[in-house]
Amino acid sequence: MATAEAEIGIVREAPPDTRGRSSPVSAAALWLGIAAITFVLGGLIFVQLNYALSGRVLTRDCIDLGLTPDIEGAVGVCNIVEGLASSEMTTLLYGGIALGLVAIVLGFATYKRMDTIRRREQALTGAILGIQAVVLAGVILAFAGGNPDLFTKHFLNFARLTGYFPGAFLKALKNTVILAFVGEVGGVIIGLVLSIMVLSKRRAARAPARAYINFFRGTPLIWQLATVYFLLLFGFNIKLSAFTVGVIVFSVNTGAYAAEVFRAGIQSIERGQMEAARSLGMTYFQAMRFAIVPQAVRRVIPPLMNEFVILIKDTALVIVLGLLESEYELFTWARTGVSDTFNATFYTATALGYLSITLPLIYLVNKVEKRLRSGLVGIAGAGG
Amino acid sequence: MIDPQASATASGIEPLIRMEEIHKWFGDNHVLRGVDLALEPGEVQVIIGPSGGGKSTLLRCTNLLERPTLGRVWFEGQDITDIRADLDAVRTRMGMVFQQFNLFPHMTAIRNITIALEKVLNLKGNEARDRAMEQLQHVGLEHKADAFPGQLSGGQQQRVAIARALAMKPTLMLFDEVTSALDPELVGEVLEVMRQLAEEGMTMMVVTHEMGFAREVGTWMMFVDGGVIAERGRPKEMFAKPDTERLQQFFSKVL
Repeated sequence: MATAEAEIGIVREAPPDTRGRSSPVSAAALWLGIAAITFVLGGLIFVQLNYALSGRVLTRDCIDLGLTPDIEGAVGVCNIVEGLASSEMTTLLYGGIALGLVAIVLGFATYKRMDTIRRREQALTGAILGIQAVVLAGVILAFAGGNPDLFTKHFLNFARLTGYFPGAFLKALKNTVILAFVGEVGGVIIGLVLSIMVLSKRRAARAPARAYINFFRGTPLIWQLATVYFLLLFGFNIKLSAFTVGVIVFSVNTGAYAAEVFRAGIQSIERGQMEAARSLGMTYFQAMRFAIVPQAVRRVIPPLMNEFVILIKDTALVIVLGLLESEYELFTWARTGVSDTFNATFYTATALGYLSITLPLIYLVNKVEKRLRSGLVGIAGAGG
Repeated sequence: MIDPQASATASGIEPLIRMEEIHKWFGDNHVLRGVDLALEPGEVQVIIGPSGGGKSTLLRCTNLLERPTLGRVWFEGQDITDIRADLDAVRTRMGMVFQQFNLFPHMTAIRNITIALEKVLNLKGNEARDRAMEQLQHVGLEHKADAFPGQLSGGQQQRVAIARALAMKPTLMLFDEVTSALDPELVGEVLEVMRQLAEEGMTMMVVTHEMGFAREVGTWMMFVDGGVIAERGRPKEMFAKPDTERLQQFFSKVL
């Protein structure tokens, strides 16, 4: 690489900083904005941690709200509610709103007259942070003014997870990943075959693949799960576990989407690549294997990973099938907990469980996408 | 119309390539309207004409990247438009070089050449490598064997593409406007390789806008316009005295 650059004559040198100097007014707008968001967001976290960790007991107010000591987790719920209603919190929120409003006015009033890039950016950033602080503080105040005790009791009472967490939860997390991963692998294999059929110049080969893709993309996944289960059971006398049927339907469904991803990836390779390979005497399949597919694979990795993220969330739909306890995935785990305890905090925990898988994946997709994009520039560049 | 080429092929020597009454439709667009051509071993056929006139289509009908709608193509005495002809085998003996180079971007220069040697001609790894290096030397790029196409200039890429086609040891080479995508300062090195190839006796069909090259290197020249051969003959004579008004107009624009 280095030799090629030297030959083409690229000189590597960091560009100069042309943003210019700061000024008191613009810096004030920026710091006001930062202070405002810190008051609101930092204050919320600080107050809640303080209430949660300082070993408090059930207050009179909480008992009046119906959080009696016999309710499991009542203290934790009480702490959240008391923290929200506390004078510290109120002071921080109104303080944040005041600072935010000043930042908004100052930033928007002055940014057009700022004479350097740095000053303009500071003024605008301060105003934007101010808006965020004001909106966030307003939402928290509105929530605190409603019935935060009811919501908290039903959705944020993590003490109710005792006995279900972490053991059964982690097992459900594992089952979710297995369902999605095996489904994705099966889908990729089905999709590859379908995409080759769809790209055929013969209608006889295209038509069945097209019908398959359109059918499975055009009907709800939840219907496919239920119908295939009973189709196998009643129609074909095949008794499979709900988990297995889930894997099959996820494969079959993902196959339809993956086929479109592969088709688009293969079609995105310039026509000249196929022609060059054929003009060297390669057969159609040799050209595909050595010239087209290796290039297409790089381009389909990000969309396939996105499909995987979607499938992880869609595994929740197996809830329509009767899973055995050992097969519970996150959503079935949550529903069982909810029906045992009449508390929806299980759904909150489930959402966090999905995030623990999807967030790293989303991060990875973005990274891969970025790298491929810069890599493809290197390949496509240096033309004529 | 006098057809000097037809009389030349009547000399009894078997033409390497013969095309007869070639027609090509794209949808209802009648691109080629009855083109004939015959070329003996060692001859260079230059094809000129305005864009959209059918030159490239004619070339692509030669190795059947496009199948002629009507008409026949004989190559080395075999009718390759016969549906039973093994086109993959035929194409190993007909090299083609494209305007956009079409090197495989995920392979090094040498891999671009060895891949077909190994997978199509079934050469062993080191045999393929030796033959590829020989061809890279031929085009003066043996020091770029391990570079990827993206690291080469356009002229270098096109020379690798020529080496790739030559490594198959073809008996006929097709060049489709191979210098049109190049920066002006890179055109010379590619034309030089082609000139050398012609001197070594390679049979070639060359679609080009390089009139100097056409005049000096062409054995025969044809002017294709509106899907027909509007004029054909010896290049020097055609440049000196174009018979048709269409060719005169074309020359007045490009010369």
